[in-house]
Amino acid sequence: MANDLALMLPEIIVLLTAVAVLVAEMLRQPRIAFFVSIAGLALATMLTLPLLGEQATAFSDTFRIDTLSIWAKLILLPATILSLLLVRAELGGSAREGTAYVLIIMITLASLIMAGAGDTMLLVLGILLAGLGSFALVAYPRTDAATEAAMKYFVFASVTAGVMIFGLTYWFGGTGSTLLSELVILEKSPALAAIGFIAVVIGLGYKAALVPFHFWAPDAYEGAPVSIAAYLSVIPKVGAIFALAQVVRDLPVESAWQWIIAVVAVLSMTYGYLAALGQQNVVRLLAYSSVAQAGYFLLGVIAVGSSPLAFESLIVFSAAYAAMNLGAFAIIMQVGRTLEAFKNVGRQFPMIGVAMVVFLLSLAGIPPLAGFVGKFLLFGAAMEAGFTWLVVIAIINSVLSLAVYLRIVVPMYQPSENEAITTDIVTIPLVRQVWFAGLLLTVFIGLAAQFLLGSIS
Amino acid sequence: MLPIVSLTLFLPLLGAIVIMCHRNAAAEKVHKIGIITSALTLLGAIWMWVRGVVDPGMTGKGFAQVEQIDWMPSIGAAYRVGVDGISLPLVLLTALLFLLTFIYSSKVRKQPQAFVVLMLILETAAIGTFTALDAILFYVFFEVSLVSMYFMIAGWGHEDRQRAAQMFFIYTLLGSLPLLLAILGLYLGGETHTFDMRVWIENPPLEGGAAMLVLIAMLFTFAVKTPVFPFHTWLPAAHVQAPAAGSVILAGVMLKFGTYGLIRFALQMTPEAFREAGVVVLIFGVIAALYGAFAALAQTDLKRLIAYTSVNHMGYIVVGVAIAALTLDPEIRAIALDGSVLQMVSHGLVTGALFFLVGMLQDRAQTREMDQFGGLLKTVPLLGWSFVLAAFASLGLPGLAHFPAEFQIFLATLREEPWAVIVILGIVITAGLYLKAISQVFLGASNEKWKTMPDLDRRELLTLGPLLFFIIVLGIAPSWVLNMVHQTTIALVF
Repeated sequence: MANDLALMLPEIIVLLTAVAVLVAEMLRQPRIAFFVSIAGLALATMLTLPLLGEQATAFSDTFRIDTLSIWAKLILLPATILSLLLVRAELGGSAREGTAYVLIIMITLASLIMAGAGDTMLLVLGILLAGLGSFALVAYPRTDAATEAAMKYFVFASVTAGVMIFGLTYWFGGTGSTLLSELVILEKSPALAAIGFIAVVIGLGYKAALVPFHFWAPDAYEGAPVSIAAYLSVIPKVGAIFALAQVVRDLPVESAWQWIIAVVAVLSMTYGYLAALGQQNVVRLLAYSSVAQAGYFLLGVIAVGSSPLAFESLIVFSAAYAAMNLGAFAIIMQVGRTLEAFKNVGRQFPMIGVAMVVFLLSLAGIPPLAGFVGKFLLFGAAMEAGFTWLVVIAIINSVLSLAVYLRIVVPMYQPSENEAITTDIVTIPLVRQVWFAGLLLTVFIGLAAQFLLGSIS
Repeated sequence: MLPIVSLTLFLPLLGAIVIMCHRNAAAEKVHKIGIITSALTLLGAIWMWVRGVVDPGMTGKGFAQVEQIDWMPSIGAAYRVGVDGISLPLVLLTALLFLLTFIYSSKVRKQPQAFVVLMLILETAAIGTFTALDAILFYVFFEVSLVSMYFMIAGWGHEDRQRAAQMFFIYTLLGSLPLLLAILGLYLGGETHTFDMRVWIENPPLEGGAAMLVLIAMLFTFAVKTPVFPFHTWLPAAHVQAPAAGSVILAGVMLKFGTYGLIRFALQMTPEAFREAGVVVLIFGVIAALYGAFAALAQTDLKRLIAYTSVNHMGYIVVGVAIAALTLDPEIRAIALDGSVLQMVSHGLVTGALFFLVGMLQDRAQTREMDQFGGLLKTVPLLGWSFVLAAFASLGLPGLAHFPAEFQIFLATLREEPWAVIVILGIVITAGLYLKAISQVFLGASNEKWKTMPDLDRRELLTLGPLLFFIIVLGIAPSWVLNMVHQTTIALVF
């Protein structure tokens, strides 16, 4: 028991941080709430470091402390800190500022639980906890758009969670246990394995915004504050993807799960980028791009169990994705939500221009940036697993993605018809630091991926 | 030993960083840094040449001056660079063309800092592509060159630059991604998981159907890059819209990525599959050479005309490489490859000179339509005669750079696949179209409009002089390049 607690210390710290922040908020001390959040998450990150290399489970196998769950902490906790800086910059001074911090920390905790889930019930717990926090965050501005988005999000979540729990009963019926590690038993009953897995894909696919469970994402991102959209596009998504990887680890390879994942991956990548091609709102554009990026993640999930590159690729790409997506959203916070607002920005503000170009090219997978290394490893993993055709489709979509991201790059360097009109960009404190950190990380992970790879294996 | 390859490779990048650190430097100073950096890079390349392509104790097999540092040991990727007789001439060509481009562009006043920085990054990417001995490193440099060229065209091009730049970027990215697939295929197919290109060349990791699929992916990539008909459609658009400096680098250096890759990757890593598919590649090469010549004949825009002759000249290289793949006789193979590599160098020099000249003409007249000119040989004799010389070189006149290269390619073709020598018709057509262009632009009645056109100034002479000099030297005495190439090509074993 004591050992279990020690292994879960980072998660416990995150939980305690949430409680402390809640208390601070009740005392109407948003500044303290903010600093406690940052300090708590930083502490949890530090406490994760000694766990590196650990392969254990806690609380009778229900929670896993393994490569995936440890790296989920090392990526998501710092990413949450960066998100909190953005939230502070955008919502700081508003009436319920502190509640946003509490909710964010709770969602991060839920994402960590998902990423380390060793039990279907823990999976459900993670999804529901993340969901509850997300609705409230999306509805934070109390505008019509935000309320509508939160409502859609909520209805969608209820239905998918219901279907998932229903499907999981089949697994429980088949194995007599809620533990994921018992799923190997299902080798002789592939139909049962497939039904349960489809249910899991529905539940997690909604969290990760995979096609066809993505409908909520563009509306929610657009309705929510930009900083919340940035957060929701990274942390719960990575948590859900890692959870999917935890599930398929124990599924018999011969069952149909790889094909289910492959179909969802193709749909997500293709639909995400095609839909992004028509967007005028940059937040919606990035929302669809994040749908497509989730599809790329699945190339790593599909290789779990058949390629040693699977975990490495998932982890490297998660880190890359967190850096570049948060960075891109931070720039949007500073510049504006429409393509119109990006006109001439690259000429007037060279640094912002360079940073945005780096983020977008990295998202498109152009070397030597982080996104390239991540996708390269994902492609390698999927090919080793025998899914070369899927890699071919992913590669074709990468070309499509370039057309999508160039839609933002082109106006940035287009001289506006009237040179006299200059866009005003207010320098918001903290936002600059966030995209600068994102920029450094995007370049660093691209050039020195060994730093990650070396510590993973 | 001094790591001269890496120094040469990263010198331009260093120059770019220096410029970025001096945000408010004057345009002259920025251009001066660009020129000095690229001059030092050329010195580095010459130093590499002095060291030679054969390491002491080796017989010309493999690579010389190899420098290696661990990069991603977990997946077998490392920073590995080195040269052999195929890559070193291209490095020298790259360094020379960049230096001349910097001299020519020193008049650029539109965001000079960004321009020079992009050009320097492009120079590192180009030299890196030719010297990389690690497949990931190669791919990284290959793609970085695309990005910088995209911004070059989008930022400093002509009227319709945005569209042309996007088409260039998307088209060539579509072209290069199959290479990534091929690289992964070779990586996963090998016994030891490594991205070391030397290992793949020494022991081709794949055979049979898998090798054929990898070859098809690579051929697609390099066909787009070279470009081979019918994948050439991006080229005229990009050239017409690109600034003169961009065109020179695009045609002089970046097209060679395609043919260099064809030799380095397709020929050396999947030789068996290439032999089987050799006839198909040969047919593509013949069609590209003839198509390029005919298409050039139909152009009225001088720059488009030169762009299409590139398709023609690069077609000969494809023919040469295909012959090298088909033949079992090492001697014929060496002749074909010697000719192909020399053709790459000649094409870089000649087309570079031609694009500079068109750029100079456009600076003066703001048009490139051939029927707008006439009798320019009298008004601007230096520019006119330079163009005539470069055009004669381009059509393959003996004594000028293209002749020894094309002669060797045709010689090897005649010995291996005699029917394919119909490609020689391309020379007749190019001769016709250049004579037409010269008579329209430089001969005949002079147009009143251009009476006051100034002749070449010092900067322009400095740009063209070295190119014209080397065009003649390579035509008369090609052996100083050929010997270097031959040391490697004769030692190739398949």
